[in-house]
Amino acid sequence: MKQKSLLLIVLTLVLSLFLAACSGSNNAGTNTNNTNNAPAGENNEEPAEEDEEATTEPVQGGDLVIGSTGSPTMFNPLYSADTASSAIEGFIFDGLLTSDTAFETQLNMAESWDISEDDLVHTLKIKDGIKFHDGETLNADDVVFTLSIPLSEDYDGPRAGYFEKIESVEKVDDLTVKVTLNAVDPTIHIALGYPILPEHVLGEVPVAELGEYTEFNTKNPIGAGPFKFESWEDGQFVKVVANDDYWNGRPYLDSLTYRIIPDADALMTALAAGDIHYYTVPATDIATVKEWEANGQLKVESGLALSYTYLGYNLRNPLFEDKKVRQALTHALDRELIVESVMNGDGEVADVPESPLSWAYDEDVPRFEYDVEKAKAMLEEAGWTPGADGTLEKDGQKFEFTLKTNQGNKVREDIAVVVQEQFAELGIKVTPDIMEWSAFLADIDPPKWNFDAIILGWALSTDPDPSGIFHSKEIEEGLNFVGWSNPDADKLMDEANLTMDRDERAAKIQEINRIIAEEQPYTFLYYPNAHHAMPTNLEGTEFHARDEFYKINEWWLNPNTEN
Amino acid sequence: MISYIIRRSLMAIPLLFGITVLSFAIIQMAPGGPTSLMMDPNISSEDMKKYEERYGLNDPIHEQYFTWVSNMATGDFGESLIRRGVPVSEMIMNRLPNTLLLMIVSTVLAVIVAIPFGVISARKQYSLTDYTVTVTSFLGLATPNFWIGLVLIMVFAVQLQWLPTGGVATLNAEFSILDRIHHLILPAFVLATADMAGLTRYTRSSMLEVLKQDYMRTARAKGLKENKVTYKHGLRNGLIPVITIFGLMLPGFIGGSVIVEKIFAWPGIGLLFFDSAFQRDYPVIMALTVISAVFVVIGNLVADILYAIFDPRIEY
Repeated sequence: MKQKSLLLIVLTLVLSLFLAACSGSNNAGTNTNNTNNAPAGENNEEPAEEDEEATTEPVQGGDLVIGSTGSPTMFNPLYSADTASSAIEGFIFDGLLTSDTAFETQLNMAESWDISEDDLVHTLKIKDGIKFHDGETLNADDVVFTLSIPLSEDYDGPRAGYFEKIESVEKVDDLTVKVTLNAVDPTIHIALGYPILPEHVLGEVPVAELGEYTEFNTKNPIGAGPFKFESWEDGQFVKVVANDDYWNGRPYLDSLTYRIIPDADALMTALAAGDIHYYTVPATDIATVKEWEANGQLKVESGLALSYTYLGYNLRNPLFEDKKVRQALTHALDRELIVESVMNGDGEVADVPESPLSWAYDEDVPRFEYDVEKAKAMLEEAGWTPGADGTLEKDGQKFEFTLKTNQGNKVREDIAVVVQEQFAELGIKVTPDIMEWSAFLADIDPPKWNFDAIILGWALSTDPDPSGIFHSKEIEEGLNFVGWSNPDADKLMDEANLTMDRDERAAKIQEINRIIAEEQPYTFLYYPNAHHAMPTNLEGTEFHARDEFYKINEWWLNPNTEN
Repeated sequence: MISYIIRRSLMAIPLLFGITVLSFAIIQMAPGGPTSLMMDPNISSEDMKKYEERYGLNDPIHEQYFTWVSNMATGDFGESLIRRGVPVSEMIMNRLPNTLLLMIVSTVLAVIVAIPFGVISARKQYSLTDYTVTVTSFLGLATPNFWIGLVLIMVFAVQLQWLPTGGVATLNAEFSILDRIHHLILPAFVLATADMAGLTRYTRSSMLEVLKQDYMRTARAKGLKENKVTYKHGLRNGLIPVITIFGLMLPGFIGGSVIVEKIFAWPGIGLLFFDSAFQRDYPVIMALTVISAVFVVIGNLVADILYAIFDPRIEY
């Protein structure tokens, strides 16, 4: 008996070895068996014919399980710095302003937003009758309280930057707040639209202790958002339930469960089994998910993500001093091929540090298309000639450098190899160095700048201001790792941040991007796509490049379309 | 015996002290810090500095160490740097039950399977059974946990839908023992495979050694049945070295299960250790390091004591 069962185990193991070996990329089970014991809320049956009579009116009900590899840290938007926390804060809290899919600022909990002639005084009127989850009314006191926290000397959270141009915040009447600035700030809508915290709950807590006030931050966060916090099981899930009194109407979904599965592969299997309903799929897994979509197991909404990936050069290194050399390197790299082969066509080649989605984007910039011959000629002009071993040399220095990127991002690791191969054709020796994330950041952060070249990405904000990364004042301590400094661009960035006039700003930012494209402190690689996998019967969603849960209060599950 | 235990425990104090100094130094030497993860153009360096000041991250290392050690001596492990305000002890206590449950179940499972197979293997050396057991245990040793785990999830959770893909309990369901067991089956089995393989090999070689002894021949000569010979005389002596392995398995309670916990979304200590290391959450890393060091010391002590109990020839 024992021997039999043992043999069975052996056979199973051996068999599964073969199965996995044969099935290659398809080993992420395509669900063809119809089973009736699927997890609640999902049944994996063959998709039924579209019902002509299907409901088009949203209905209430259902629990949507959202998958995430990251765990949240706390639920206080003024103190958290990770994406999982932000996502859940978006369910619990709400702000006076919001930004739509075109990144235009819209009124949200604000009735009106008036701006003075000199752009320095902003008067916001709050909609009447908005309630926090505990039933207290949200009024001017709460807004004044929230905006005053980051202005306090004692504030030690990461978000003071958004609020630095605010001089004072005053209550005019119960529903009106006046915010006075000390300088014009075209990005002020971010601060003015920040999620509102309840003064009646937190007002007594000293600002110095707010960041550690777990009573609110982790145990019982109270906001005015579409969902109420219910529970957080550490390392397992966070559950929020519909707020019946939401000012914009009760959400259709009864609840959201934000489930944490740290391993990306395991998360994919949970999606296949229907244990997870909604997930923003990483580029590496998109082919598999598209297959499942073809089988009718789920649907995918895709669009350009608000970010770009780049190859950055340490301009302190004499190799990269000459603009001509950097332009030649861009010429030498087939970025179309990178998008086609490494990304499976899942993205677009980038030339500027601005998303095509932004109102400030302009395609009229200097471009350096793939052209190896031109690259060779330009390098020769710059004084680099092949040495005895074929490696380019100039004044006795060989053109060889290390290319660092972070471990665990397969696309970046692959790109490093493509760069190595393509630059080798020119006689440039590149050594890829794949590093642990924190170690990598510590190396490129000020004041070390211990790198020759890096592959990294930037997530963009809905505001197109590039100064956080390209202004020379960010070299010493900020994120201008590569040390790019250009007085003309600096001046334009300062000017662009001193006007509220949209057209004027757009013109200046486009000019800045033209300078950056010409100078090539980075070889811009690509804009990736974002993919949201969801149940086939989830309706009311709208793709937003920055917010994977855009208008989640309007999402609903259609009971009439078989899933 | 008692005096021996006391002596050993006293010796552990300088050892633990040394371990804390060493691990503190190593962790501080690791590049980056809790703020290096805040890479966001909207977070100013002033904000980060304020935060570092607040937690004394820029103080000289020896000062940081003494602050930490003196707090720990009073049983205060401090608060997390990442989950601000949350006591480290609370974070650990939240997860300890999950880890213990998984560990105990998988160890029991490993023992139940490994020891009988090890003994059978030894008794029928060079038989088909022996080869089968050997090949299987080598396969078990050689295949990585994450792979076995994912394959089993694919088969039992996705295709057959008999078992959940992960987690410790069904979402939004009432607590039930059955449900917990349901969720425990796969991770405990995967975790047991590696131990199983090792224990089987260990038991086998140890039993082979014993079966050759003179006293076994004497026992047979007395006319005892083969089973009695093997299990009464042989097993008792054969298991002595195996016990040592248990003592040495104890520290694995903390680090040994990271991969399984990650794949099965099982929030245990291993995963906490892993996440904290990546986030450079120093207080959590240090607390767990000290706890595992204590486990190593205790584990060794327990192994030695068990040795004495099982083997009357050993005197302390």
